[in-house]
Amino acid sequence: MSAAAAEHDRAECRGDDATHWPRVPVGLVTTLGVMAGGDNSIEVEGLVREFKKGPRAVDGIDLRVEPGEIYGFLGPNGAGKSTTVLMLTTLLPPTAGTARVAGFDVVKEGPSVRRTIGAALQEAALDPMLTGREHLRLQAALQGIARDERRAREQELLARVGLSEAADRKVKGYSGGMKRRLDLALALVHRPRVLFLDEPTTGLDPQSRSALWEEVGRLARDEGVTVFLTTQYLEEADVLADRVGIIHRGRIVAEGTPSALKADVGRSTVEAIPAEEDERARVAEILLRFGDPTQASPKGVAVQLANSNGSLADVVRALDEAKLAIANIQLHAPTLDDVFLAKTGTSLEGAAEDDEQDSDAE
Amino acid sequence: MNGRGLSVTLGLAHRQMTLLIKNPSLLFPPMLFPLMNFLAFAGGLSRLRHVPGFNYPGGYTAFQFVFVLLQSAAFGGVFMGFGIARDFENGFARRLLVAAPHRSGLIAGYWLGAVFRWSLVATMLTIVALIAGMPIGGSGVDIFGLYALALLVNLVGILWAAGIAMRFRTVQAGPLMQTPVFMLLFLAPVYVPLALLQGWIHTLASVNPYTLLLEEGRGLLAGTPLHTASAFLIAFGLVGFFLVWSLRGLRIAERAG
Repeated sequence: MSAAAAEHDRAECRGDDATHWPRVPVGLVTTLGVMAGGDNSIEVEGLVREFKKGPRAVDGIDLRVEPGEIYGFLGPNGAGKSTTVLMLTTLLPPTAGTARVAGFDVVKEGPSVRRTIGAALQEAALDPMLTGREHLRLQAALQGIARDERRAREQELLARVGLSEAADRKVKGYSGGMKRRLDLALALVHRPRVLFLDEPTTGLDPQSRSALWEEVGRLARDEGVTVFLTTQYLEEADVLADRVGIIHRGRIVAEGTPSALKADVGRSTVEAIPAEEDERARVAEILLRFGDPTQASPKGVAVQLANSNGSLADVVRALDEAKLAIANIQLHAPTLDDVFLAKTGTSLEGAAEDDEQDSDAE
Repeated sequence: MNGRGLSVTLGLAHRQMTLLIKNPSLLFPPMLFPLMNFLAFAGGLSRLRHVPGFNYPGGYTAFQFVFVLLQSAAFGGVFMGFGIARDFENGFARRLLVAAPHRSGLIAGYWLGAVFRWSLVATMLTIVALIAGMPIGGSGVDIFGLYALALLVNLVGILWAAGIAMRFRTVQAGPLMQTPVFMLLFLAPVYVPLALLQGWIHTLASVNPYTLLLEEGRGLLAGTPLHTASAFLIAFGLVGFFLVWSLRGLRIAERAG
């Protein structure tokens, strides 16, 4: 995905044009809103988790997520993302280090942490025999929602995730996307201040995926919910996250906004393929005004744009002024995969394969 | 338990009841097992009442009824342990653990669910026993005591099974939940009073804490209770011991993630 497309999607997710899921009446937003005030941040210092007979799944990570921020935790399978989420949601005690969620220590103040957070874990843990509505009732009871408030909350959330019609059907008949949406609704029952989403879109079709992105963006934007999102999809982190932490083999190897991370690893590249083979030298001459030569396809010419030397539009204008016929021209902006490659020496896909082989060997 | 803990308990108990209502097949094993035992023992072995020394005033049907009532209570708890293990195995327990601020309330919730199921079994057993002509010699208080004792046995059963389920977190631990309970129940005076047992079985039955519960249950049904305080003391002692056992199991499950 190009940087421009990612930017566009990010704007859509965080903007007001989301229409894939039914929208809640404006008046309901306040009632759905999170508890006002309080510390919604996540602070992690030197967090470690070791498993018996295994490597350190999480190897001393430090991070801070600001209130109302969407933090994308990006990494391949087996990198330590889910283990981190399990520790932050009090489902797994850390071997070392400290973590505070919404101001509460995850080890010493587990009940307070659980009151404050919502979590949709990697595999939507649903009971196939219960209906969507019954799940919401159970969740409301577990969270101690007052009985007279439960029914209204059920209706609001079912409408919000587009499951009103399917609410009284057993979950075993739900599609993967419906289960994910129900899982999200369950995580929101008690208006959490901090939301953990562990690979929320894995296995979803593109439409369900973008709908979920919209909803997550809306939660952060309209309700100030802090979102900690793990993903192995570059696009997801790029589109959705305000900041991204890249985790590889239990360690955070890079952290920052998607654009800062990408800017950090390199500049955009422009590659032009002349319509006539013998115009190659003239095309190269013009392109070199905008940056340094770099590797291109056999028929093309490519330069890495110098930051101050203009944009793709300037390049196109210059080629046009020189009356050069161009068969193809494209801008390649750095992606988060380039960031991952620069920081770990392997691409995200390659790292996933390596980790799978490692786990097979174990 | 505070309001939040109670809410967790009631919420989970409601889920267990909903599952039972939606899936009545869950009721068959805990219903059929004691019912078959009752019909087989009280029917097929009824001539044992003529054995010299068999002096239980309620007759053989009542003698066996108490055994199967307590058996159904114990196994009702154990069967709920299967449900807990299944919840851990399929990941549903994680939802419960991450949503419940007070996790101890989960054990109480499973128990309430087990009580609901056992109450259906106990009702059915009682009806069948009454149809079979079981006499009731005890007063209302005695009968209340009998069912209260059975309720405590049910609690002991689920606390034991929950401890196993949370330690192993797989349904494959089922035999480990059932076998010790089965042995404890059948190493008590099941078919004849303790005084008629001989040899190693008499020795084992004499030290088996369940023997006192069973004999006192029979005494309450017949209206001849002898050691009520001791029986309840033992029952509460077992509840206390297995409460610690199950809470430690919960902590182990929490540590395992």
